[in-house]
Amino acid sequence: MYPAIIEDYVRPTSVDEALKAAGKYEAGEAMFLAGGQSLMQAVKSRLVRPRCVIDLQALKELKGVSAGGGGIRIGAMTRYVEIMSDPNLKTAYGALADAAEHVGDRQVRNRGTIGGSLCWNYVAACMPAANLAVGSSMELLSATGKKRAVMVDDFIKGPLETARADDEVLLAVTLPAAPAKAGSAYKKWGVVTDALPVIGVAVYLELDGGGAIAKARLAVGGLATGPKRAKGAEAALAGKKAGDPGLAAALDKAASEIETQSDHWADSTYRKNLIRTLGADVLASAFARAAGK
Amino acid sequence: MNKTVKITINGEIFEQSVPIRLLLSDFIREVAGLTGTHISCTYEGVCGACTVQLDGAAVKSCLMLATQADGHEVTTVEGLAKDGKLSPLQQAFNDHHALQCGFCTPGILMNMDEFLKKHPNPSDDEIRTGLIGNLCRCTGYAHIVDAVRDAAKRTR
Amino acid sequence: MTTKTGTNWVGAKYNRKEDHRLLTGKGRYLADLSMPGALHLVFVRSEQAHARIKKIDVSAAKKLPGVVTVLTGEDIKNKIKPMPQPVVQPALVAKYPRHWPLAVGKVKFHGEPIAVVVARDKYVAEDAAELIQAEYDPLPYIGDPEKALADKSNRVHEEWDDNIIFEMTFTGGADDASRAKNDAEVERIFKSADVVVRQRFRTHRCGMTPMETRGALMSWDDSDGLIAHVTTQRPHIDRLALSDILDIPAEKVRVIAPRDQGGGFGVKAPFYREPILVAYLARELKRPIRWVESRQEHLMAVSQERDQIHDIEIAASKDGKLLAMRNRGIADCGDGCEGVYWGFLMPFLGSVELPNAYDWPIGDVKLKVAVTNKSALSPARAFGELPTRFAMERAIDLVAKKCGMEPADFRRKNLVAHLPHTSITGEYFDSGDFLKVWDNLMAQVDLKGFRREQEAARKQGRYLGIGFGLGVELSGVASELLVPMESQPGYGAATVRVDPRAKVIVFEGDAPQGQGHETTVAQAVAGAFGIHPSDIVVTTGDTGTTPFGSGTIGARAGSYFISAAVMACAELKQKISRFMIHDLKIENATQDDFEFADGEIVYKKNSNIRKTFREMVERIIMAPINMPAGESGGLEHTAFFEAAKPMICFNADCAKVEVDIRTGQFKILNWTTSEDVGQIINPQIVEGQMQGAVIQGLSNTLFEQFIYDENGQQLTADFENYKLANAADVPDIKVTHAPTPCPYTPLGSRGIGEGRPSSVPGTITNAVCDALSPFGIEIAELPLRPNQIWQLIQNAKKKAAD
Ligand SMILES: Cc1cc2nc3c(=O)[nH]c(=O)nc-3n(C[C@H](O)[C@H](O)[C@H](O)COP(=O)(O)OP(=O)(O)OC[C@H]3O[C@@H](n4cnc5c(N)ncnc54)[C@H](O)[C@@H]3O)c2cc1C
Ligand code: FES
Ligand code: FES
Repeated sequence: MYPAIIEDYVRPTSVDEALKAAGKYEAGEAMFLAGGQSLMQAVKSRLVRPRCVIDLQALKELKGVSAGGGGIRIGAMTRYVEIMSDPNLKTAYGALADAAEHVGDRQVRNRGTIGGSLCWNYVAACMPAANLAVGSSMELLSATGKKRAVMVDDFIKGPLETARADDEVLLAVTLPAAPAKAGSAYKKWGVVTDALPVIGVAVYLELDGGGAIAKARLAVGGLATGPKRAKGAEAALAGKKAGDPGLAAALDKAASEIETQSDHWADSTYRKNLIRTLGADVLASAFARAAGK
Repeated sequence: MNKTVKITINGEIFEQSVPIRLLLSDFIREVAGLTGTHISCTYEGVCGACTVQLDGAAVKSCLMLATQADGHEVTTVEGLAKDGKLSPLQQAFNDHHALQCGFCTPGILMNMDEFLKKHPNPSDDEIRTGLIGNLCRCTGYAHIVDAVRDAAKRTR
Repeated sequence: MTTKTGTNWVGAKYNRKEDHRLLTGKGRYLADLSMPGALHLVFVRSEQAHARIKKIDVSAAKKLPGVVTVLTGEDIKNKIKPMPQPVVQPALVAKYPRHWPLAVGKVKFHGEPIAVVVARDKYVAEDAAELIQAEYDPLPYIGDPEKALADKSNRVHEEWDDNIIFEMTFTGGADDASRAKNDAEVERIFKSADVVVRQRFRTHRCGMTPMETRGALMSWDDSDGLIAHVTTQRPHIDRLALSDILDIPAEKVRVIAPRDQGGGFGVKAPFYREPILVAYLARELKRPIRWVESRQEHLMAVSQERDQIHDIEIAASKDGKLLAMRNRGIADCGDGCEGVYWGFLMPFLGSVELPNAYDWPIGDVKLKVAVTNKSALSPARAFGELPTRFAMERAIDLVAKKCGMEPADFRRKNLVAHLPHTSITGEYFDSGDFLKVWDNLMAQVDLKGFRREQEAARKQGRYLGIGFGLGVELSGVASELLVPMESQPGYGAATVRVDPRAKVIVFEGDAPQGQGHETTVAQAVAGAFGIHPSDIVVTTGDTGTTPFGSGTIGARAGSYFISAAVMACAELKQKISRFMIHDLKIENATQDDFEFADGEIVYKKNSNIRKTFREMVERIIMAPINMPAGESGGLEHTAFFEAAKPMICFNADCAKVEVDIRTGQFKILNWTTSEDVGQIINPQIVEGQMQGAVIQGLSNTLFEQFIYDENGQQLTADFENYKLANAADVPDIKVTHAPTPCPYTPLGSRGIGEGRPSSVPGTITNAVCDALSPFGIEIAELPLRPNQIWQLIQNAKKKAAD
């Protein structure tokens, strides 16, 4: 399959230029191209037919991970290959590195970007769930010059839907400075290794001085309705320490509160079981990371 | 509808006006005439047969427009052997019988060539994980793993 | 590494000759070939599974600039003869559905071609294909083979009176009376047997999709006719079929299989409908036409196999001797519209091979094949027998357990101990030593030690398991089987041409797709002439230059083609020897008294009498004067090899696994095989075939599955949904050998690899069930997925709790 006719291709060197180019077209007719690892599939199968492709590759300000007093900023065009090995994403935000490390394959990780994954928000994607768990915020800039920050919970909508307007560019994903004892992790299972997840589970934990959970966020991906937080489970995790049998009860809660589907990869009850087993694994990693192990 | 692109492939500059919708894989195969880069997917970009290096990084050329490569350097399987001499990786593939039909082989070489630069001393598990983006129907992968491991040793 | 010196090339590790071009991107696969001015052809395929075609509107597509022509079934039905045609029709009694390359009247599966577009550019061809509008009147989807067999009112082929394409009884002799007697005897044994096991086994639809899809590039010239480059395993058959169907005199059809093909595994063996249209249009338009199949088309239309159900019953004595077997097989062959195989030949052969290597006193084996609204089954390595092997190897474990025996001991006790042997379904096993192969396997796997380890692990809540499986496979397909089955000869053919520079060209009519023929035949010929394999080149797959061959099918290379080449060499060596005797005036010598070694021809009785190979061939080819009486110049010979009876090879597998009962996921700890491939020609190539075959078997068993939804929509036409095993999913296989040279081939070699994946699903499933034996879990349905295993564990736990 080959793309339908594309009328124009531009490679802006500034975000302003990119937004101007988008402004020339009706909503949806011009599309931003990041790593192309989702968009090109859609363009080739003619699921989307952009009149104009705006290639973001030359936008230096959208690339790279930087950490400062105010927190961590991950440029929207930062590739998986960089995220998986960035020293700032090892403990509190380790879920992002976990997700990046197991996206597809090396070639996909050499091209695909965090921003592209979040803006595409495919049902079986890893980054949306991992971001829901770590509680990131999206920095968006629109053609009118308006900049806004949207919490990931508000940004991620149903499958292939986000709060981004067609004429908005995602500039960066930002994270608050990590508290002292925080850790997160992400793990997925698919029919073959590193495939799109049948279920992916991400958890973020902040521990108190005694090692008990002060705050938890748990998110699940691979759901027909898009990634979801398991808020009941999050509440149930509060106060639990590593090894506490209450952790399993909290995961049972997650499995029951999240609606899972049956399809040719797995049935609904197996998905629920995966929420429990993957959940146990990511909790163990998150505890270890939070404890600096 | 058309754009003029300037793409360097294996050191040779190709400057050409092409339809914007032209895939990089087709540019390589049909404009540059380098048919060692193979196509095995429809749109999904899973098989890895079309893998080339873009500025040194292994990428799937079927998931790129040729225009995206404008101003960049592409290396294809035809660019691996220097002065008629197989690279250590290519030679290891021959020595370990790491190919049967050979259809997947160019993509695997282009991926593993980059992989070895990043992992000069890989474990078998690392090699196998590194190969996920390349499907091979014939070999069952074991000989490929042997060849990559041996190439690492020969290169170190 | 070219480590071997001397003349003994057979059996040596010799690096493949084909590799250099393939490693440097210089392979020439179909899509790499070009012809000036070639047009691109794309098919438009049905979006419905079963529907009457009301109207196909092609007007907008025809108007698109760059489009040369658009055709539908109505445009060609009076111009192209419909299938079936005798050349691609087996001699077996069956119904052979009439069909054209494009649907006429109604569509019978999701993916059937309904129209074709030819354009100057492939992107434009797709633009045009999108503009074609088809209107349908939907018909009820026929998707369940059992229902299809029973339903006469709703039919896939309306000209038939039911949905049964083929049915057969494989046991009990040729006439009804002897079969009735046989079946009654089987029934009597079942009634009185100590141990009886009954189980239904189901193997899902999956296949061997190669990495290179199909394709064709054809040109027409009024004087020379058709030159057809086609991805094919059987160019000579394609040539005859194209000639017959399109009424082109046979001398005007030349089919060329590209020298490099990206895998076939059976998928490129049928005579498909698409090349007919490419040829037709090349002739009509008098312009070269190229069709390169997309992966989506490929996964929709071809490469689907397996899909069988077996209700198997086994009777055994308490002490573990097999007494009788009864099997009722059902296969879902799709619409059956496919030259040569017609969707049912695979299940047919699967049933023939059901008894496997076990010694059955008697059996009652029957098969029914239904047509449905799916793509026709097309052959895949482990042709038809992967489902029957799965059923048999699982059933044997069930019987063994019921007898209270180790499945391994039970197998050994019931293996055919003496060859030759004819199975209850009439399959002939020529030679080999099954017990030797089995004992070699058992020597590799410490079963007693494993049982101890398993016991200890269970105490820690870890579930280890061991599983066995075995397979007797065809080594080449003899005429005895191939003539009735495919109306084609089984012999292997090779032309060996020696040139004046003492180089040799071997011409092979078959068309390999990665099996390394260029290397193995070079080794065999180098061994015969005492020259170096690098002095030998091989030309394959061109009907213009090669001798007739039925195709690269059924592991024919090692057994048939190489044997033919060796026979041709022997003939030429005798001729050269006669010239030696004559030229050197050797008294009392015969043509067999010469040794060909290290580039020389040496008189065995006096090694001072010698000549170089080059001198002699130059003399015979370039200086044909002063010759022995009755001789002519030149050195070229074509030989045909065929063993009197079919030949086999044999293997046994052992897998060890660990199952995580939390998830049903399991890890293959190791996999060991024991093989009898006869005399090995190139050990690395043999090892490569085995590694590849076992992993293909695993990939079929664990990951691959074609899925049709309740309306017959195929949901798995891309690699995102049709999952092949990747490198991180599979183990390294330990391949060991216990060979018995085949007495019926010149080198003792056996053809290998074709059926090899078939013992895999039983082996791995047996291992998983062994691991889960505390839960009493017996799996009878594939694919083997963690979801299913986990569910069975839950059910077992629930049952135990109740
Ligand atoms: C073989 C294969 C395997 C894969 N496996 C996985 C997997 O296991 N897990 C997983 O999560 N994903 C997987 N993916 C998808 C992959 O993660 C994609 O890279 C990702 O979803 C999209 O990122 P991208 O940079 O490629 O974006 P693109 O494809 O370029 O863009 C995606 C969408 O985002 C928009 N967009 C991109 N950047 C911006 C921006 N800065 N501002 C506004 N809009 C923007 C684009 O317009 C487009 O609509 C796989 C893909 C392939 C090909
Ligand atoms: S052709 Fe590019 S990944 Fe398959
Ligand atoms: S060698 Fe044939 S696909 Fe890899």
